[in-house]
Amino acid sequence: MRHVISVLLQNEVGALTRMTGLFSSRGYNIDSLNVAPTDDPGVSRVTVVVSGSDAAIAQLNTQLAKLVDVLNIHDMTLGEHFERELVIVKLKINADGLTTITALAADFGADILDDSLDSFTIQLIGRIAEVDAFVDTASGIGKLQAVARGGSVAVSKGEVTLSSYAKHHRLTG
Amino acid sequence: MTGAEIIVQVLADEKVETIFGYSGGAILPTFDAVFRFNDQHRRADGKSPIPLIVPANEQGAGFMAAGYARASGQVGVAMVTSGPGATNMVTPVRDSMADSVPMVVICGQVPTHAIGTDAFQEAPVAAIMGAVSKHVFLVTDAGRLEATLRTAFELARTGRPGPVVVDIPKDVQNYEGTFAGHGQLPLTGYRHRLQAVVENKLTDEACERFFTMLAESERPLIYAGGGVINANATRDMRHLASDYGIPVTTTLMALGASDTTHPLSLHMLGMHGTAFANYAVEDCDFLIAIGARFDDRVAGDPARFAPNAKNIAHFDVDVSEVSKVKSVNWHHVGVLKRDLADLLAFGKRIRFNKQFSKWHEHIAELKHKHAMNYDRDSELIQPYAVIEEINRLAGGEAIITTGVGQHQMWAAQYFDFKGPRLWLTSGSMGTMGFGLPAAIGAQFAQPSRLVIDIDGDGSMRMNIGELETATTYGLPVKVVVLNNYGDGMVRQWQKLYYKGRMSGSDKSLHRKDFVKAAQADGFEFATKLDRKENLPQTIKAFIEFDGPAFLEIIIDPDAGVYPMVGPGLSYDQMITGDWIESRVAPSDDQPGTSEMF
Repeated sequence: MRHVISVLLQNEVGALTRMTGLFSSRGYNIDSLNVAPTDDPGVSRVTVVVSGSDAAIAQLNTQLAKLVDVLNIHDMTLGEHFERELVIVKLKINADGLTTITALAADFGADILDDSLDSFTIQLIGRIAEVDAFVDTASGIGKLQAVARGGSVAVSKGEVTLSSYAKHHRLTG
Repeated sequence: MTGAEIIVQVLADEKVETIFGYSGGAILPTFDAVFRFNDQHRRADGKSPIPLIVPANEQGAGFMAAGYARASGQVGVAMVTSGPGATNMVTPVRDSMADSVPMVVICGQVPTHAIGTDAFQEAPVAAIMGAVSKHVFLVTDAGRLEATLRTAFELARTGRPGPVVVDIPKDVQNYEGTFAGHGQLPLTGYRHRLQAVVENKLTDEACERFFTMLAESERPLIYAGGGVINANATRDMRHLASDYGIPVTTTLMALGASDTTHPLSLHMLGMHGTAFANYAVEDCDFLIAIGARFDDRVAGDPARFAPNAKNIAHFDVDVSEVSKVKSVNWHHVGVLKRDLADLLAFGKRIRFNKQFSKWHEHIAELKHKHAMNYDRDSELIQPYAVIEEINRLAGGEAIITTGVGQHQMWAAQYFDFKGPRLWLTSGSMGTMGFGLPAAIGAQFAQPSRLVIDIDGDGSMRMNIGELETATTYGLPVKVVVLNNYGDGMVRQWQKLYYKGRMSGSDKSLHRKDFVKAAQADGFEFATKLDRKENLPQTIKAFIEFDGPAFLEIIIDPDAGVYPMVGPGLSYDQMITGDWIESRVAPSDDQPGTSEMF
């Protein structure tokens, strides 16, 4: 199963390396990774998408929680959440393609950043399935020059303050 | 104060009594500060308050610090220079991580402005050590040096202990600042999680469930791991065992947690555990894992481990170990010493009383019928006989260190340990060359105790340079090399699983003269024993020698380690060899080829 894990990470030298290194040393592939500062400049929010059985990911989360720089972990997939991704696609199109791509952009609610035929550039923010479908369709319209995806970002739905790590790894049971 | 002086002052405040270190360009300021500190604070007897012990190789310093930590329970300290000094330290750091040994390693680093320029003796220590240690700090802000170093000690010793590396650029060591004498880094996440564990006391409800399982059990068994020793909970675990008559088997790491001479002690379980311990695991109906982690040398086939256990309980300090390998019915993550005391108090309150006399009879029969044994009439010197003879003199009170391989397993099987912190071995990492430097470190921690390194010829070669360290510091360590002219454990596997092709493991044509090597390094007692009839008197003279002593013993090259549960196999597939009685027909089961690690 695909898991979207949010990690709050202290901004320390090598913290991100230690975190991502844990995935490879424990045999997991990262499907997508997004890192950016939070409202606290000393803390980054890392969103990792990783695939594995629920039990394997639960174990991975407990290992992540042993990293000293990790402040908190939340496996979004265990509850309702919003997950979005940004993508920028650049295409080389001809005059025929222009109508199709403009219609596609309108259909997906994407923004056209550059409308020159040699480097037609569109930006979309959406659900992962939408982003996948958009990239797939757009690449059939012209000659694909670049696809830049930002990686998943996610927040849980409603008022969730308790970290799922603590909820799912009870100290007594 | 300079950064270097701050480092040494924090070490002094942390009551560090020995530093194991090797100098070099990037750590020179701190080595100089150690010299000046010792000069200014010389004790009345003329001795240095924080002596600096210099090994032959940085790996030696790391294993000395680890041996010191394992023997004393205190944080071991090693100090090395940048680049090769630090990379030579990687193996002991990973070894200590894998065996949960508290250690602080201080590495010099090239000056801040030179980091990333491929400078002379530069290595990316934070990146390398980050993958193998409990934590690594690269101190780029000199103002945080003092707090960082103090925090490193706290990290090393709290929770599940482990090695912490502090990488300190030379300009940070030379910085001028004030010493606050207090203060730590916030480590919000770590402290929060640690606090949750510390505050997680056993509830009456949890105790009740535990005692219900015990009441329903006819054949309970404690499976104790290294966590018992790390938590200093040996006495409490023994109380649980003796108050309720629960037999105890220990992992390799926990030898000594249970007094191996006690009737209800089953010695070690696992791949090379005693047959009676492994049969007891097969037969038990309630398994109580305490500070143990069901590792692959214990539970090679987790699904078939303890197959008759209706319930499994697990005490640990690390929540990630709970149900990692084997799912359990009851678990508690907390402070082991306190939790066991609370459990016992609850048992007293409810006047828990249940006799397991039938189980005790069964255990006694297993121990009698499937006792450890070997070819006692062989004309060749049997390694087991050597250990038995040394054990007779050591009486379960000596510190035993080992390398890795057959000799390590023979020592684990045939030595008695009356208490914790007497058995120092590289369990999880399995690092050859651990024994000699660990013995040196242990002797510094326990100067008046008999310290014996039981080594193999292969393991001894790995860190043979440290023989000189033993004589340089006049340490009375006793070094035994069980020489079977090769890598015995590798040969054993090649015989079993590779049709006897001894690829790279035979050293019968090597020309090493171990006795001459020891003599060259200043050993006044250095002898070779190759005649069985001389065994008792030679060993007596060796053990009783006042000072460093070296003994090479030529053993039966075909001696094997039995019992053996093949990798990935279950205990009912255990082979016991020719001299230990098996209760099932010997198994011909071969492990899967990818299980062979």
